[in-house]
Amino acid sequence: MRIVSTDHKVIGLQYLVTSLTFLVAGFLFILLIRWQLAYPGQPIPLIGGWLAASMAPGGVMLPEFYNQLTAMHGTTMVFLGVVPFAVGAFGNYLIPLMIGAPDMAFPRLNATSYWLYLAGGLVMFAGFFLPGGAASSGWTSYPPLADIATAGQTTWLVGMFLIILSSLLGAINSITTILQLRAPGLTMMRLPFFVWTQLVTSFLLLLAFPPLQGAAVLQLMDRLAKTSFFLPSGLVVAGSSLSVSGGGSPILWQHLFWFLAHPEVYVLILPALGIVAEVIANATRKPLWGYRAMVGSALFMGGMSFLVWAHHMFLTGMGTTMSAFFQVTTMIISVPSVVIVSSLLLSLHGGSIRFTVPALFALGFLPMFGVGGLSGLPLGLAASDIPLHDTYYVVGHFHYVVAPGTLFALFAGIYYWFPKVTGRMLHAGLGRIHFWGSLVGMNGVFFPMFVQGLAGVNRRLYDGGRSYASGAAIAHTYSGQWWSVVLLGVVQLVFIANLVWTLARGRRAAENPWRATTLEWTTTSPPPHENFDTPPQVRRGPYDYSPAGAIDDFVAQDHA
Amino acid sequence: MIPYTIEPRVDTGVTNVTLGVWLFLASEVMLFGALFSAYALLRVSAVAWPHGRDLLSVDTGLINTAVLLAATFLVWRARARDSRPSVRRLLGSSVLAVVFVAVKGHEYQSELARGLVPATNTFMAMYFTLTGLHALHVVGGTIANLWAVIGSRRVGPAMTAGRVHALSLYWAFVDVVWLVILALVYLS
Repeated sequence: MRIVSTDHKVIGLQYLVTSLTFLVAGFLFILLIRWQLAYPGQPIPLIGGWLAASMAPGGVMLPEFYNQLTAMHGTTMVFLGVVPFAVGAFGNYLIPLMIGAPDMAFPRLNATSYWLYLAGGLVMFAGFFLPGGAASSGWTSYPPLADIATAGQTTWLVGMFLIILSSLLGAINSITTILQLRAPGLTMMRLPFFVWTQLVTSFLLLLAFPPLQGAAVLQLMDRLAKTSFFLPSGLVVAGSSLSVSGGGSPILWQHLFWFLAHPEVYVLILPALGIVAEVIANATRKPLWGYRAMVGSALFMGGMSFLVWAHHMFLTGMGTTMSAFFQVTTMIISVPSVVIVSSLLLSLHGGSIRFTVPALFALGFLPMFGVGGLSGLPLGLAASDIPLHDTYYVVGHFHYVVAPGTLFALFAGIYYWFPKVTGRMLHAGLGRIHFWGSLVGMNGVFFPMFVQGLAGVNRRLYDGGRSYASGAAIAHTYSGQWWSVVLLGVVQLVFIANLVWTLARGRRAAENPWRATTLEWTTTSPPPHENFDTPPQVRRGPYDYSPAGAIDDFVAQDHA
Repeated sequence: MIPYTIEPRVDTGVTNVTLGVWLFLASEVMLFGALFSAYALLRVSAVAWPHGRDLLSVDTGLINTAVLLAATFLVWRARARDSRPSVRRLLGSSVLAVVFVAVKGHEYQSELARGLVPATNTFMAMYFTLTGLHALHVVGGTIANLWAVIGSRRVGPAMTAGRVHALSLYWAFVDVVWLVILALVYLS
């Protein structure tokens, strides 16, 4: 395999390996964070002695290092882990195969976006080696704090700029590929739901990311050219007033940031819904219930996601008219998510469900995403958001959406498409250990956050809030979270072992081991260069499972 | 072989490159749109906002406007021609683009000499950020022009025509952004 390749399958695998590596890094950060929260002031076991004196002297974590870990955990997981995993890896590998195309529309652009992503991630991580360490102003990088933070924030901004460039190029490529390179007969309403979700996701990346890119440029100007885009007049730092021209607005950053970051939530969740839909249709052996409504909902959700960003900003003192507008749009956008999840639930009804490992993860996704979504409703209404803002409740809410939500869907996708990519089936027993261990571990980590948040504990305190009465009252809940994280880590090791073992000597798979209908299963495993020996001709919809009068319980999309 | 690189797809009516460049321009609209919104928000909340014509050289701005429009005009003239004149026009357009960047650099120099730097006030900060980003787009467009010229012999006239078409859309966008900057920063 060439290192610089323009084959979408190679690039997809490069994205996969890189994003999994970043996910592991983000997980290692959280091991340190959870140890600190459970046992503040105690030396970190095993690796504590190796950490530099600027991070953890004598193995005991410094508050500054804790801030770097939380900022870099969030950034790594969202921008370097889950999005490149869901869009870069799954999108790149599967879109051309599912639409019967030989490759992406712009193969060289595709390679460019992978290398920009890798460069962006490395630049960001280089911050750890600078004096003052990596970025430490949270994954949201709010000014004025971020404007006056140490040099790690500059590498964060440069890294973010490169990552945004990478996803812009990727989005242009995906949209062009989906619209232009569909096989003959593959009309839009015959596209697998997964491809629809990738299309909407790409539009979100294309249109929501540039404002953050602009904001990153402005913040870089603030830091390097001493401008005051985000610095108000009369700011006092460490006892002396800042000598800047002033007149800037920290709220401006919040607007630009959340204009990206709310659509980003749907960038995280839409591909996950797409994967779950494919797996559920296959595991229940029947067509998806409400395919057209699901497509409509995905499109509506995408458009609507540009109109809800200020619900992250109820605490900025916006007027009641503004706040009412964003509360209404926020309540409206919950409708399409509920339509999609209800359709997936109804798809189970009357099916003869195969409880394979991908199906377990897809079925686990539904209630977990439900908890994540429903716990978000109180945050969408200003009255209940104001007391909950910046507490652990918020952290619990979005982790339920992204961790046992999106990540479970991505795991389902790995188990489902692994035989297509490698020609071998992942071990099902180890997969079940991975699923049940992750389900218990994730809930063990995230459920207590709701309790902590409702007790009023702020999410950014490095001693877990023990210096406050509210935090001291719930301090005992942190040790359970620590052991849940350990369990989560152990079962991920089982998963990695499964990947390695299967690659070496796993059971060989035929070209269509799940007896699935979509086009990627009609070619060999792994698919050849340019994907199909003869270009496929599509003759039916994507989920022709158990059709009346057929010999088999499925009919492939290109079957006459 | 990737289909629809040269001939348009029947049901969408475009080639891959045409669709790609339109999508790229949509994202660019969002980038500059965000920056212009930031300009508006900072300006309306400012205690005092200087007039661009008092601090900047409007004449230089207008000369550069003419240079940039001429560069774009040549790219548009390069469309729908056989390959030799189109190569000459692309080269001419690239020369004009370089002139634009040189004039811009000279302008920056005279402003810095007068003590006008990004840190002076938010107006100057906006001026340097917007015109700097725009100048980067002119540099990028020049590189793309030259890339189309150099590749024209290898990929043939049909493919080059597609590239020139994409370039013409891009340069028109660069002009529009410049005209907005001219209005917001120089003339207001």
